[in-house]
Amino acid sequence: MKPHSVFRLTLTFIFLLCIFIVISGCDQKGPRVVKVALVAPLTGDIAAHGQGMKRASQLAIEEAIQSNRFKDFKLELAAFDDRGDPKEAVTIANQIISDPSILGIVGHLNSGCSIPASQVYARRNVLMITPASTNPKLTQQGLRNVFRLCTTDDVQGKFAADYAIDKLKIDKAALVHDKTAYGQGLAEEFKKEFQARNGQLLSFDGIDVGEKDFKALLTRIKGENPQLVYFGGMHPECGLLSKQAKELGLSVPVFAGDGILTPEYAKIGGPATEGDFASMTGLPPEKLPAAGKFLESYHRRFPKDDMQPYDPYTYEAINIVLDAIEKTGGDRNKMIDYVAKVTYSGILGESSFDERGDTRNKLITIYTVRNGKFVYVD
Amino acid sequence: MFFQQLVNGITLGSIYALFALGYTMVYGILLMINFAHSEIFMVGAYLGFWALSLLPVWVQGWTPGYFTIVFAIAMMGAGLLAVTIERAAYRPLRRASRLAPLISAIGVSIFLQNLIQVTVSAQSQPYPDTFKISHYEFFGVQVNSLQIFIFALAISAMVLLQVFITKTRLGKAMRATAQNHTVSQLMGINVSFIITVTFLIGGALGGLAGVLNGMYYGSIKFNMGFFPGLKAFTAAVVGGIGNIKGAMVGGFLLGIIEALTVGYISSAYKDVILFAVLILVLIFRPTGIFGEEVTEKT
Amino acid sequence: MTLPRRWPLIATGLLVVLILPLVLNQLGNLYAVRVIGLVGIYCILGVGLNITIGYTGLLDLGYIAFYAIGAYTAAILSIAGISFWLGLPIVMIVGGAIRLGLGAPVLRLRGDYLAIVTLGFGEIVRLVLINLDAITNGPKGLPRVGEKIAEVKFLSFTLTENIHFYYLILAFLLIAIFISHRLEHSRLGRALIAIREDELAAKLSGINIARTKAVAFVISGIIGAVAGDIYVHWNQFVSPESFTFWESVLLVSMLVIGGMGNVWGILLGVVLLVAVPEVLRSTLGTAFVDYRMIAFGLLMVVIIIFRPQGLLPSRRRELELKTAGEES
Repeated sequence: MKPHSVFRLTLTFIFLLCIFIVISGCDQKGPRVVKVALVAPLTGDIAAHGQGMKRASQLAIEEAIQSNRFKDFKLELAAFDDRGDPKEAVTIANQIISDPSILGIVGHLNSGCSIPASQVYARRNVLMITPASTNPKLTQQGLRNVFRLCTTDDVQGKFAADYAIDKLKIDKAALVHDKTAYGQGLAEEFKKEFQARNGQLLSFDGIDVGEKDFKALLTRIKGENPQLVYFGGMHPECGLLSKQAKELGLSVPVFAGDGILTPEYAKIGGPATEGDFASMTGLPPEKLPAAGKFLESYHRRFPKDDMQPYDPYTYEAINIVLDAIEKTGGDRNKMIDYVAKVTYSGILGESSFDERGDTRNKLITIYTVRNGKFVYVD
Repeated sequence: MFFQQLVNGITLGSIYALFALGYTMVYGILLMINFAHSEIFMVGAYLGFWALSLLPVWVQGWTPGYFTIVFAIAMMGAGLLAVTIERAAYRPLRRASRLAPLISAIGVSIFLQNLIQVTVSAQSQPYPDTFKISHYEFFGVQVNSLQIFIFALAISAMVLLQVFITKTRLGKAMRATAQNHTVSQLMGINVSFIITVTFLIGGALGGLAGVLNGMYYGSIKFNMGFFPGLKAFTAAVVGGIGNIKGAMVGGFLLGIIEALTVGYISSAYKDVILFAVLILVLIFRPTGIFGEEVTEKT
Repeated sequence: MTLPRRWPLIATGLLVVLILPLVLNQLGNLYAVRVIGLVGIYCILGVGLNITIGYTGLLDLGYIAFYAIGAYTAAILSIAGISFWLGLPIVMIVGGAIRLGLGAPVLRLRGDYLAIVTLGFGEIVRLVLINLDAITNGPKGLPRVGEKIAEVKFLSFTLTENIHFYYLILAFLLIAIFISHRLEHSRLGRALIAIREDELAAKLSGINIARTKAVAFVISGIIGAVAGDIYVHWNQFVSPESFTFWESVLLVSMLVIGGMGNVWGILLGVVLLVAVPEVLRSTLGTAFVDYRMIAFGLLMVVIIIFRPQGLLPSRRRELELKTAGEES
């Protein structure tokens, strides 16, 4: 092709592209389409978690449509992939606030994405509920549209440290984290409380997400003779960590946060995970009929997929947004006021939010692996 | 602890070495960095996973044959994938600039990773636990039979490859092509065929490394190839890229350095140190340990 | 200076580039303005990278590291209270110095090895950013709780909206293009071409290879750092996750697909690889979110096979690459 014609072609192409972008941001005509957005990493390294959140969202929306509570609207889920990249997250946030049919967003997963994105949502008063971002900074920004359903690192980490000292009688622990805002944050909070209560911290190490070989690290940790290994991070790494630890003869329990609370954990780690611990917000599903029903529906709707740690939180968050839409008729501003004052009864128990947007439900339950499944303790 | 770390490192290194062979062979013959090789590793692991999960039980009872079949499936599949990629994505670019095949390889890599993520799963898949692992202990060092098996398999594969390259006609033809395409063609060697064979063997070894990786760690994921791929490539370079012995030595060396770094220095900075080693080697001894002066391919 | 031949086209183009975003902004489409702003930043990066890859012929697979260095340096300075304009020269010096430090041992390496070293360096920078908590706050990013990135003020006007930053980016892009253009048509530029064509002959003509390459390399790094500086002030947040190896790969792909050695090629490459995924995102909608990256990978392979010199290569490059193809 001659350079000049390529030039013309591309110019036309760019022109068409601009048209597309203009259209994408504009209003649709027709019956009122109402959307709830889910923003999470749907591709990339932690796609598994994001995909789980998407499934939970789909379930919630489908149930809402079937319940006929939203007869006047055409209810839809708008799923966006932020790839865990703050840059993407802000771009998506811009797209969302430019779309008046999106009344609220559930997301993001990574705090690194939630924090900058929340500022964008604040500009147009779009309700944002995060089911998974645990960095305390998110709710310290003073944005009234931001709410958080999961507990922050300080609550979980502190609780775990106290539990380890009081119930498990541990006074020597080794700490490992996955160098993410969540994992490192959690580990640091555990460390603070553990040391404050005179626990002896033997080591504090970081590993990479996606890493599979922890033998070298565990060999070194074994030499320190810990009674417990606390891990800040997610189930793929923790499962392997637990398995390899036992293979090396380091037969101590592994204790982690809600990032490992999924049936996947025992599958990846195998029998080595027996006796490992995990913490999570809210009451155990056994004590909440709504939670049991959710688990059933999820497995029926997605028989081939495993539930990921943040799916329950996501399901709850979507339902709170839907509740807000129902009770306010879909007014963005009123929805924020509504959520600020609501006490929602759902699969996590009773959830309500304090002045900063954090959930008041600071109840933590400890689970342990027995016969390949997580069961709650006390 | 030192010897335990050594054991850790050698096992890690065995896998890196097998993985690195694919990079070094392709580079030796085409002066091209096959970025998609990490995905061939990953696909090999998945093929092994399916073979292990789907083969009927009566085959499973026949232990030595069973694993041979599983490896054969994974290796053939991976090798064929490599050959297909070469045909579809690299061959059309053989006459283009040096950057073009690299870009193509990156595109293939993105395509394969995401294809597996979407069609199979984004989650980690646990590997079937079919290898009966026995644990041994020598003077406080824990070794298990899987580690010994991997090491033995890796060494055998490499010895076989070395013999193939030096003693067979096909091997000689490969070495000749690696030196100079034009002259080889003049000597009657079908260069395109040799290139296909190179990708087949390199891909098969990469696939084997993938299965072993899956068996050893017990879990595979669509993005499992990326970082190990970078490290395996580093190993190939450190050993002397284009040189098969170099890839083997580089692989083991890298595995041991990694294990010792984690054990004695820092887990968080281990990759920084690995890359720093890479850079230092390239600056002070760019041809690597066994490096040869690779002549221009015309 | 005579008017370039296609000046009506360029004038229209300039008008579109100046007015269209404003129109979109008034329509309330903040998303489109944001995307166009991102295109602008990537264009600045593309122009900078082009100096290394297009002019000097060195494959840099870790260019994103300098974007990161610029962004983090700017963030640290800004948090300490230094304004954008005062911080800018500091960011440029830091970026340039580190680039020089990297270049000194590395520029004499052979092409592919240089690629790997730059890749390694890019990863090292990212890993250091994640691990050096005391300075960078690790994975939690900057600014920390209670800190703030300073606002950018131009005369007495504070930049807050996407559209404001768009014009800032545009201004810097034009400056970058100007620098790139002057470089290309200077003695230094011709020396670079000579080196790229035949290093031995260039040396024999008296060109100081090391110094020539180093100058281009450093200028390239400085441009990348400046892009990072602008980005951090726009986004008001920076964390290591934005600076992965894939970003470096993306940048290289933009140049190779769009066409090297050529501003139009860069622009096209950026539009194709940044704007197109956005369009795919908004037109294909929720169900196809997962397929976006698959389509992207496929697109890269297809384009590079059917047009390996890039879609809009500079005329010189086209001649180079076409004849190189025909020779062998």
